[in-house]
Amino acid sequence: MKKLTIQLSLLAAAAAFAPVYAQASTPAIPRTADGKPDFTGTYQWPTYLPGAERGRSSATTFDRKNFAPLKPGGEAFLEPRTGDPRHDEPRDFCMPAGFPAGMLSANAMQFFQTKNYLTIVHEFQRMSRIIPLDGRPHRKDIEPSFYGDPVGHWEGDTLVIVTKNFKRWMMDDYFYTDPKEFRMHSDALTTTERIQWKDKDTISYLLTIDDPKTFTKPWSQEFQIKAKPEWDAVGLFEYVCEENNRCPGGKCQGN
Amino acid sequence: MIRPFYSFLLIALAGSAPLLAHHSFAAEYDDTKPIKVIGTVTKVEWQNPHIWFYLDVKGEDGKVTNYAFSGGAPGQLMRRGIMKSAIQVGSTVTVDGFKAKDGSNNAFGSKVTYPDGRMVFTANQEDQTKR
Repeated sequence: MKKLTIQLSLLAAAAAFAPVYAQASTPAIPRTADGKPDFTGTYQWPTYLPGAERGRSSATTFDRKNFAPLKPGGEAFLEPRTGDPRHDEPRDFCMPAGFPAGMLSANAMQFFQTKNYLTIVHEFQRMSRIIPLDGRPHRKDIEPSFYGDPVGHWEGDTLVIVTKNFKRWMMDDYFYTDPKEFRMHSDALTTTERIQWKDKDTISYLLTIDDPKTFTKPWSQEFQIKAKPEWDAVGLFEYVCEENNRCPGGKCQGN
Repeated sequence: MIRPFYSFLLIALAGSAPLLAHHSFAAEYDDTKPIKVIGTVTKVEWQNPHIWFYLDVKGEDGKVTNYAFSGGAPGQLMRRGIMKSAIQVGSTVTVDGFKAKDGSNNAFGSKVTYPDGRMVFTANQEDQTKR
């Protein structure tokens, strides 16, 4: 009995001194001082779950079996290539990948979380997404943009980021797999990201595409984001595309 | 310096699916025009968006032509342990790649091999198995 009492006391003491990692619902995930899941850290880009269709780009692409049916008029989603590289691969002219394509590029990324913001810095094109978590609404009267206008909120241990007000732009890199599938989302796109720790090394990243000009209904795909603390020592590298973009559109400068 | 090179070789052999990590490949290079040259490295530009290195290549007629080869993004390469020092100015290397669409002496260099067989992959990891 005495032994049991000592064990219980030790357990209670351990619980009292481990508020960052111990909460009932989820096992041993990082938490902030106020008990929210803590996503601050260095990560691999979102990668496939087992069984997902993989494209030929090293960037992660969407699996068509998740797509909702195209609605009449939604065929613009599969916009054909034109042979004009400014249209077919704008990134070759240092134009931005936009969201979600940029988030899925095969580079490291770093998350910085405070009470009021999650900032995601992606090495590819040094994409930075500053996501308010303070309950503010989406901004009004601003122009549509490549990365959209995100706001986040908590649903239990899940961080939900809703992004609106996009320009029409590439959704992913699937055209490297099949040039006939350029996959352009419309300017009606709303994305919802649901970010949740699966275990101490893995984040579940559920991305919902709601594009009512293109699809009959919203659809989703889950990816995983692996923590890469070993990449943290070196950190992200600079990515200034304009520095030495020698062959824009296939027209190379002399050497 | 030797050990990292062998690890790159293992990564290459382990890869099977042909993947493209070079975001500009389709716009800039012609995958129906492979090129293989032996030459002396004259310059290395370890810059974004993709590294470039330059080779003096002697033709059958004895004339020397300078070729430029593009590789992966510096950040992607360095995270794999491939630093600028992997390609030394003055060294002789064999480069396998694909010619630029504009027909110039510019190309995508997917594989760099030293005379002793050491291989340095200048492309992104996934590009090593490029068609």
